Amino acid sequence: MNKTRFLLLASLLASFTATASETLVVCYPGGPVNAKDANGAMSAMLRVVERVGQWQENSFTSVFATKLADCRQQMAEKKPKFAITSLGLYLELRAAHNLLPLVQPKIKGQTSEQYRVVVQKDKFKSLNELKGKTLGGTVLEEPAFIGKIVFAGQYDLANDFVLKPSNQPIRALRGLDKGELDAVILNEQQYGALAALKLENPVEAIFTSEAIPLMGVVADGANTTPEERGRFGKALAGMCSDNEGKKLCDLFGVEAFAVVNPAVFEPMAKLWGGK
Amino acid sequence: MRTRPLFAALLLASAAGCAVLPKDHVQFERLADCPRQTAAHLIAQQNQLGPLSDTHALACALTFLRESNDPALRRSSLGSHLCLHLAEREADPKKRDKLAAEGVAFAETALAQGGEKDGAVHYYLATNLGLAVREHITLAMKNLARLETEMKQALALSPDIDHGGPLRILGTLYLKAPAWPNGIGDRDKALELLEKVVAKHPEHPLNHLFYAQALWEEGDEDSLSQVKSEFALGEKLLGEGDWGYSRGPWKKEFDEFEQEMGEAGSGRQQPLAQARK
Repeated sequence: MNKTRFLLLASLLASFTATASETLVVCYPGGPVNAKDANGAMSAMLRVVERVGQWQENSFTSVFATKLADCRQQMAEKKPKFAITSLGLYLELRAAHNLLPLVQPKIKGQTSEQYRVVVQKDKFKSLNELKGKTLGGTVLEEPAFIGKIVFAGQYDLANDFVLKPSNQPIRALRGLDKGELDAVILNEQQYGALAALKLENPVEAIFTSEAIPLMGVVADGANTTPEERGRFGKALAGMCSDNEGKKLCDLFGVEAFAVVNPAVFEPMAKLWGGK
Repeated sequence: MRTRPLFAALLLASAAGCAVLPKDHVQFERLADCPRQTAAHLIAQQNQLGPLSDTHALACALTFLRESNDPALRRSSLGSHLCLHLAEREADPKKRDKLAAEGVAFAETALAQGGEKDGAVHYYLATNLGLAVREHITLAMKNLARLETEMKQALALSPDIDHGGPLRILGTLYLKAPAWPNGIGDRDKALELLEKVVAKHPEHPLNHLFYAQALWEEGDEDSLSQVKSEFALGEKLLGEGDWGYSRGPWKKEFDEFEQEMGEAGSGRQQPLAQARK
């Protein structure tokens, strides 16, 4: 999920659970943002959403993490009722925390995205040719997710490639442009914005993943009631049709928050469980 | 100015409402005590109206400007300059927004009346705009491109204004704005510009502070000693220089960054103290 959409989700989550006065865990692995900035942005949007949702202002707290280890620790310590996680973290923690997806962002009519591996044009033709070469990108903060879900278990990420994770997508792409990296893996939004970057050397995608569901807000199924989850999901689903909420949704390119059909995550869970 | 307002804007610090800048003006008190002004006199003393000026003197000058149709005054950066300094001192957020918005309007008038070649007009337009939108996330996001464009113009026309203000603010803009592909944020550019402004204008405390912040964001242990030395140098310059009304908010910037560094690692405070010696 991209940064701004993620922060919007974080704000929404915080406000809708405000009455619980619980700490909300917000995980953004690989995100190019520090916790201070993120918390500032979340607070910013929160005030509007609180008013929209008719929750008491300033009645919640949240914690933010961009490192997987920190996310795991926060989830274990806080045991939050609701959280925002990446898909990889959801798959990893779903059993331990009884996680149930509630809503997904809908972007350009889609609730899924595809990942691509891009290289300088004509340098490599396939992932097989890339074996032993350097692979950069922000999404490499979650190597298990990339290996199991994006590459569908077809590659041993750590052994097949020389991984160069980064929290700055533009820096990874400049590295590709200069020949310092052989390939960069991009999410849908990053790939879609490539044209505006004006790189010196043309690039092309040599791998495109299957459609992978966008992750949104999850609930701890053992720590929330069906009513809480229903209320929460309904409120989020109505967010982008509210006058003030729509401004935020428009700003971040989110058309709506769609109530999740849990079945869309089952193929992901199978891939995650398979070796 | 610094950039405190601008930089806070880029953090998208607060509410989302308010889709446009306010248009009504802040009213000042004790205007009867203002000295008699003329356009020629104001133009002659415009370089003296700044961080060291008494707030009442700035308010008097701004009040005169509001009523003046003098073409030289209207196309100058003075109105937006005065608004910025008054806004930075204003504790009431609504009044601050109004003053900054008025500063934007003054600069837009100056541009429309032939001031487009004056880098100071672009500079104060951008700095006022940054301040005016900082509490309004949608407004801030919508104005990022304009902030960048105006500050680039200021850099091209008047790179040395305000001790390298255009480089300093543009660098901080790239440091704090949402990163590509969501925004114009770009740490490589930020480092490049802030390193440059430290070299060209080492006399300004904030140049060192923001360069230290850019280095800090790299999260690179190798840069840590440079972060500390830049911070310490900036702090020393702040303590020793006469920065007038700007000193208070700048000191707060230093304190907040020091706190951030302290929270990030308990082992870092002691070396910072050593770097001050």
